Order: sequence, then C-alpha cells, then structure tokens
Amino acid sequence: MSKITFGRFSPYNTIVHRLDARNKILMTILLLVSIFLKVNSWSSTLIMSAFMLLFLILFMLISKVSFIDLFKSLKTMWLLVIFLLIIYIFIPNPNYNPEHIAFYIGRLAINYDAFYQSGYIILRIVMMLMVTMILTSTTSPMDLTYGLEWYMTPLKLIRVPTHIIAMTLSIALRFIPTLLDETERIMKAQSSRGVDFVHGGIGKKFTAIISLIIPLFVSAIGRSEELSNAMEARGYDPYAKRSKYRKLTFSWADLFGLLLILCIFGAVLTLRTYDSNVMPVDFIYWIFKAKPLF
Amino acid sequence: MSIKIENVSYTYLKKTPNEVEALHNVSFEIKEKKITAIIGHTGSGKSTLIQMLNALSTPTSGRIIVDRFEIGPNPKKNKNIKELRRHIASIFQFPEYQLFEETVEKDVAFGLKNYGVKQEEAIKRGHEALKQVGLDESFFSRSPFELSGGEKRRVAIAGILVLDPDILVLDEPTAGLDPEGTRIILDLIKELNNQGKTIILVTHDMNIVLNYADEVVVLKEGNLVYQGVPSELFSLSSDDLSLEIPPLYQFSKALIDKGLNININSIKNIDDLIKEINRK
Repeated sequence: MSKITFGRFSPYNTIVHRLDARNKILMTILLLVSIFLKVNSWSSTLIMSAFMLLFLILFMLISKVSFIDLFKSLKTMWLLVIFLLIIYIFIPNPNYNPEHIAFYIGRLAINYDAFYQSGYIILRIVMMLMVTMILTSTTSPMDLTYGLEWYMTPLKLIRVPTHIIAMTLSIALRFIPTLLDETERIMKAQSSRGVDFVHGGIGKKFTAIISLIIPLFVSAIGRSEELSNAMEARGYDPYAKRSKYRKLTFSWADLFGLLLILCIFGAVLTLRTYDSNVMPVDFIYWIFKAKPLF
Repeated sequence: MSIKIENVSYTYLKKTPNEVEALHNVSFEIKEKKITAIIGHTGSGKSTLIQMLNALSTPTSGRIIVDRFEIGPNPKKNKNIKELRRHIASIFQFPEYQLFEETVEKDVAFGLKNYGVKQEEAIKRGHEALKQVGLDESFFSRSPFELSGGEKRRVAIAGILVLDPDILVLDEPTAGLDPEGTRIILDLIKELNNQGKTIILVTHDMNIVLNYADEVVVLKEGNLVYQGVPSELFSLSSDDLSLEIPPLYQFSKALIDKGLNININSIKNIDDLIKEINRK
C-alpha cells in the first residue's frame, strides 16, 4: 500500500546505505540507549538533547530519509502528548517546589515540571523514531535479517536454530508488502461489490472487515503452501550447512561511524554518572521509574 | 453510458525514489454498448486505467467522465462513488480471491445486500445470476472454497453480475482457465453485451480481441498508441506495436495473398472464414 511509507526502505546509495547492517544495528542500539539515558540536571539535559537532535537531523539529511514521512507519523502522536501530560499532572512530584507552580485548576496545582517532563518524553520518542527510521530506510530488510542472524550466532552453541529464525524473519518481512498489496487488491474487489470500508456503522464495518480478512487468510495460507513446496522442490533443508549469497563487510566507514557513535554514547554515560553523582545501580531505578519520593 | 477519459495521468509513489509514471496524458472515449478491448504489454498501464473507471483510484491529473459522474484527482470532490460503482462494476484478475461467505448463494447475494436489498430478494436474484453464469441449483448451498478454479471464477463473476451494472470492466477474465472455462466466460461476455451492457475487456489474447471486440485500445508504456477496430489494427505494420497477430488473421491474409478474394474485415472466427470462402 502506497500510504504506509514510514520506515520503508528507500533504495538510495548514500554512505549510510553502504554501511554494514550489523554495524548499523549496533549503532542504533547505542543511540537509543543514549537517547533514553536520563541526565539529571536541567542544563546538561537541554544541551545533550539539542546536540542529539542536531546530530540526528544531520544524519537524516546524509541518509536522505524523508522528513515528510517523519512529520506524518508525528501527526498521529498528539493523543500521546495529551495522555502523557495528564499522567505527569497526577504523578506526585519528587522535587516539589512551590515556585514551580504554573497555575491552579480548582485546588489542583499544576507544576511546570509536568510540562517539562512530558515534553522531554515526547522529544525522546521523536528522536527514537528518527533513529529507527534511519535504520529501516537505509537498510534493506534482507540485510537487516542477515545482521540479526549474525548477532544470534552465539545462540547456536546452545542449539538454537538461528538460521531457521532468520529465514522465518526474512520470509515474514518479505511478505509484508505482498500482503499489503493483496489487502489493497481485495479491498478494491470488495469495493466493486458495494462494500464501503470508510463509512457506515459498526455492523457494516464488521461485515466489511470480514469480507477482507477471510480472503486475505485464504490467500496467505495458499501462498505459504506454495512457497514451502517451491522451497522443498529446490532442495531446501533448514539443517544443511549453507553458503551466503550476500556477504556483510565491515569497512573503514563503518569503523569511523561506530567510533563516532561510541563517543556520543561515552559522553552521555559520563554526563550521566558525574552530573548527578549516582551510581550505575540507579539504572535499575531509572528503568522502573521507581525513584524514592523524598 | 459512455465513458470519456480526458488527459489522464497516473504516477505511483509520487515524490519517492520508487516513483513510476504508469499513465501519461491518455485521452479517449469508450463507446456505449460495445465490447472494447484494452491491450498492451505488462506495465503498459491497463490495470491502472481500469481501476480509475470506478474510482477505486483517482488520476494524478486529468479526469474521467462516466455518464453524470466525474472522477478527478481530488478523492474528496468525487461524489456519489457508491452509486457510480453500481453502474460500472469491475471484475479483477483472479476474482476468486474475493469469495468469503459460507455458501455460494450467500456470497453472490453479498453485493446486493451492500446496496440495501433484503436477504431473500438478494438470494433470489443471486440464483438468477448464478444460472446466468451456468451454475445450477446443486451449487447454491456449497462452500465457494471447495469449487474448482473455473467454477470459483464464475461465482465471483455472478457476484458482480447480480448488481446488474450497465458497464462491466473485466481484467483478464480468462487468465489461468482451461479452454472450456475460457469459452464459457467469453460466451457469457458476448451474451451480456447482446443484452445491452457496455463491456471493457483487458486481455493479452489477440484471438479474443479479433473474435469478440468491437473496438480496441492499445496502450504502450502509459501512452495511448492506437484506437480503432481490431481487423484494422492487425493490418497495420505490427513492428512498432509489437503485437502478436492471431493465427486466424494470418491464415486469412495468406489466403488473400495466394489470390483468394475474401473480405478480411468480416472474419472474426473460423465460422466466418468458412462462410467467406463458401460465398466466393
């Protein structure tokens, strides 16, 4: 379906596209951790976030990721913003300060902190979207699966069938666009028979969905049967030792990129530990948001 | 109900690296109560074009006028789409994928129920449509999923016919069918046309074009390259259109070259040829 464009692989040939998939996965994870690590003091949080945002925008420009797609996905987030704001208004504030009160609703005091906290979370979610978008739109699904398979290699020691997992993943990924096309086709066929997928009450909608889901399942099951037959006919054996058609190679650009990301990660980690004088044990608190209330 | 196609262009995935222009400034008119064949190679924009005829997709630019309905680039401005789809119905490639009900008769009646027809009335008219496609009572209460490919397709076609559209658009109705199934479907199309329905037929098979079509439209890489009658099309030099000339036409032409005086424009099938030869 042409409507779903978020994170779809776009086949440009930029330097980011040419990076090793394994490296890109690692870099993505490091960046995500850096984004979500909380630096406690106001000023360093602000500086760090601004720096990360600029860095990511630059990264998006280099890898030719569409900003329009990003904004489109942000448009649907306003509900999340309101939800977070409400949550933060009602959460007891650990560093309560009368000076921070913005205004009152009845007897309820609204702190500036509520806006600050929810805004900060939104910013981090936006940055997370940016990072994952860069990964998925610069790496073909196939390379992504090969990369994941490489990370799963140690699991082979405990007899986890990593190759089968990777194959299942890559087939699933491969069939997402096919099934979307199929959905579109069936929707059009049913629209020709007077089904209205947009308007109508719950009853009508339900029938409309049924008329879409059943044919979709029938064809998906038919397809999987055909595919498994075709694979068997070509002698596919999941337990056989296989050579690879695509080789992932680690280049100088990869090394440079990884070092850059490691620098950022290190900086965030340093700020995190020095700035707030907390031990890494606090990470666990941070994960569960279980900070003491006093 | 005539169909006017005016300067229609269509671009897939506009403004992305995968952008493809499927149709480029196509204009032509489809005549009422005729069988019009749309031919062209894979990727010539045939399917894209016919999807726009009942507003399943909207043109990137240009417009399509079907009777009093107008389909323009802005989906919000296209009014009465549901009404339009009752007058012009599409049967896509492999329509058997649209079947979903428990029984054949329920599936056929489904379309009518969407237009607010009562269950019993819908089933009754469904039975008529099923008989029209050559499926008798023994099929009515069977599951559509246990039928053969050709039978499934006939059920799917009945599911559209039950709506009694004025214009019927068929995308490769005979793809993947055996000769017997193909003949049944094509005879049905001819019969529907005789009843006064306008038929638009997308096909790869030049024999079908010669035998059944009154008009033919050739698309090539998104451009309209020919519109006229089939026998005239095959008499043109075939190199630039790269069409496959039907064997019957080739044979008739060879007969003429050898000195037989027959009128090639009246030959549509083997019976016509025999008649022509006997006439001389």
